[in-house]
Amino acid sequence: MSDLEIQAGLAGAAARRQTGRGLGTRFGTRFGGRVGLTEVLAAGFVLFLLLAAFAPGLVAPGDPLAIDPRAAFQPPSSAHSFGTDESGRDVYTRVSHGTGGSLQIGVAATLIGLGLGAVLGIIAGMLGSIVDFTVNRLLEVMFAFPGLLLALLFIMVFGPGPATATLAVGLATAPGYARIIRAQLVSVRSSAFVEAATVLGRSRTRILVRHILPNTLAPLLVLGTLGIGQAIIWAAALSYLGLGAKPPAAEWGAMLSAGRTYLNTAVWMSFFPGLFVVLTAISATVLGRAIERRLRHA
Amino acid sequence: MPPLVHHSRVPRSLVAVATLALLLTGCSASPQATESTAPVSGGTLNYASGDAEPTCLDPHVGGNYPQALVGTQFLESLVSRDSAGTIIPWLASSWSQSADGLAWDFTLRENVTFTDGTPFDAAAVQANIAHVQDPKTGSSTGYLAVRKVVSTSVVSPTVVRLTLSEPDSALLESLSQPWLAMESPTALARSQDENCAAPVGTGPFTVASWVKQDAITLVRNDAYTSPPADAAHTGPAYLDSIVWRFIPDSASRYAALQSGAVDVIDNAQPDTIVQAGKSSTIRHLDAPRPGASNRIELNSGRAPFNDPLVREAFVRASDVDSAVASLFQGTATRSFSALSSIEPLGVSRPDLFGYDPEAAATLLDEAGWTGRDSDGYRTKGGVRLSVVFPVSTNQSIPAEQSLFEQLQATAKAVGFDVVLSPLDLSAWYTALGSNSYDAVSAPYTKVGPDVLRTLFDSAGIVPAPSGYFANHAQVNDPEVDAWLTEASQTADAPKRAALYAQAQNRVLEGFYVLPLYDQQNHYLLSSVVSGTRAMPTVSTPTFYDAWLNR
Repeated sequence: MSDLEIQAGLAGAAARRQTGRGLGTRFGTRFGGRVGLTEVLAAGFVLFLLLAAFAPGLVAPGDPLAIDPRAAFQPPSSAHSFGTDESGRDVYTRVSHGTGGSLQIGVAATLIGLGLGAVLGIIAGMLGSIVDFTVNRLLEVMFAFPGLLLALLFIMVFGPGPATATLAVGLATAPGYARIIRAQLVSVRSSAFVEAATVLGRSRTRILVRHILPNTLAPLLVLGTLGIGQAIIWAAALSYLGLGAKPPAAEWGAMLSAGRTYLNTAVWMSFFPGLFVVLTAISATVLGRAIERRLRHA
Repeated sequence: MPPLVHHSRVPRSLVAVATLALLLTGCSASPQATESTAPVSGGTLNYASGDAEPTCLDPHVGGNYPQALVGTQFLESLVSRDSAGTIIPWLASSWSQSADGLAWDFTLRENVTFTDGTPFDAAAVQANIAHVQDPKTGSSTGYLAVRKVVSTSVVSPTVVRLTLSEPDSALLESLSQPWLAMESPTALARSQDENCAAPVGTGPFTVASWVKQDAITLVRNDAYTSPPADAAHTGPAYLDSIVWRFIPDSASRYAALQSGAVDVIDNAQPDTIVQAGKSSTIRHLDAPRPGASNRIELNSGRAPFNDPLVREAFVRASDVDSAVASLFQGTATRSFSALSSIEPLGVSRPDLFGYDPEAAATLLDEAGWTGRDSDGYRTKGGVRLSVVFPVSTNQSIPAEQSLFEQLQATAKAVGFDVVLSPLDLSAWYTALGSNSYDAVSAPYTKVGPDVLRTLFDSAGIVPAPSGYFANHAQVNDPEVDAWLTEASQTADAPKRAALYAQAQNRVLEGFYVLPLYDQQNHYLLSSVVSGTRAMPTVSTPTFYDAWLNR
């Protein structure tokens, strides 16, 4: 998701809040706004993911790497709810055990992107003039490359693998965050309450620490939650291209890639890992929006 | 040749396949089918290759399978091979060798001209051998095949003599390969770039254009007169033209065939072959490549596979049969030989390669790998029993990569830690060149059993100046060397067969290789195409006899 999309999303969420319209059926009006059905479902799915990530054995007790050639290419059934792959491995077990790796990459990459973006954005917004100009031009150069291309370039230089894929996705998302944070910082800096603080004779440091930074960085939580979904998609894309996790590791992108060969005959091999990528991204986005709404209410 | 790309299988008997083709089209319910027994001229055949697009269409340069595939349509060799493995005339009508085996005279077919008008004669053959042997050409496959040729001379315009440094029982087999096809000396005199873009041969088609990353267009050579001795007709080809495209994705390639956008695809994968089997409008041509079988080579040059017990244990711990059955779904047959099933001199030893995890465990105990680490892998002196296995993603099809994963799982049960690392071609070559591997699977296509010398002679352990070497198992056995050298020099056919059998048995019994199946090479053809066969040389399809009944 580009920063523009995120900004548009934030604006859209704000508009929905003002007009009182939103996604899904809503129930409950307390606790800082209403809780939508979609939000409940998203939270439920995220809980399942967290369980799968931290205790995969509870969710799927089998071995994700155990082969059974005689049971290859079996469609979803009561024995194998998501079917089996070309080596007879259980797709449900693999998808569940793959959650940890995929979430880890998504969260780590988002933290890297946000951290780097925050540093760049704050430097540009606070120091102004030449520094702002330089950082902005640098960001524009980085924006000239699509994020995934930037990630590919990084992997070309530093070699494939889960660690470099995480770093690559983090770096590729940083410019978007930097620009949003800078814009937020500039608008906060020229807001009435900062002007008031200045008029009241508060020191620059105090204004920065007490007024500007808290108001600038608050949206980071929202951005981060929204970003995790995107980072997981990108990490899966890199694995799909063979640049992330290595087969036979149970990783969603790698499973999608392996299933692609059998798309005509064993669609479940790619459908379920793909579904998990999509549902994770959607859940993260829905939760991000919900958090953002509640923050605004607060 | 060390093929650059995907490989995938071949014609047991080309005659049988051609007959089957005729029967199939004859039996089809479509109205045109009944008329299709008589070839029709005209039309454009669309071909989609899953191999990499060549960087140069001249197979003298480098020399890989994608070049051979398209080159077969416009270039011809001095000799060919029939489905029984016998060398038959093509551009050379006859040949003879001196008593000492050091001089070979080839009598050339008369009245043959290259498509640029240059006559095909003894001087042209001389120019071609010189071109392949010229270091500036950068030939690797062709160069190795004529390594023993020290000079060529024009005896008469229609007789050329090759003088050898030592007798070469594989010379005719070598010359039958597309990597030693005859090109116009006038065309060869151009710059390499020009010649790469449109090589000029004597074949039934000529290269009209090549739009890179799109298509190569081949048009009929109306003056064609030189089909090989086993062709179904004489005179020009039936097709007006061939459009040769590249569709790397297997599913897209098959979809293009189903929709009729293309008429023939290569590198058909097991699942699409099974699907095609249910279709009444798609025909399957199974044409295993000659030379080596697809096998896993175990590096005897370093631990742990320098110990024959550990090699045997790995072989016993690998459940190849179940893997082939589940992944290839009946499209590949298990091999127990170092050579392709189409090589008449191949030795097959099913007795050596059975799956027996208990025997594997006993062998490992015997070899001293008795410890176990926390992950369950065996250890010896604190060192884990690991097998580094670089996998070339360019050369191993997805089903084969999955097969390696299954072997990894079955070997793990016995205590082997098989470390699979999927690599692109250059990283893979680097891993091999730096001896950082314990197991590897590298296809090698060559006509005839002399490929054994390339694969198992100790000279093949030392990388060539290009960095490539083919003895990946690092077999270093003076007796094997002596047998293979003698086999390559003897003109006595039974003796040659016996020597090759001796060498193969030694290699198989030493568990240097784990044979899997033939080099897979499957073509799927729309039922509108008739008369296509794979050449019995390197199993590339030829469209000289092909016609369309759309």
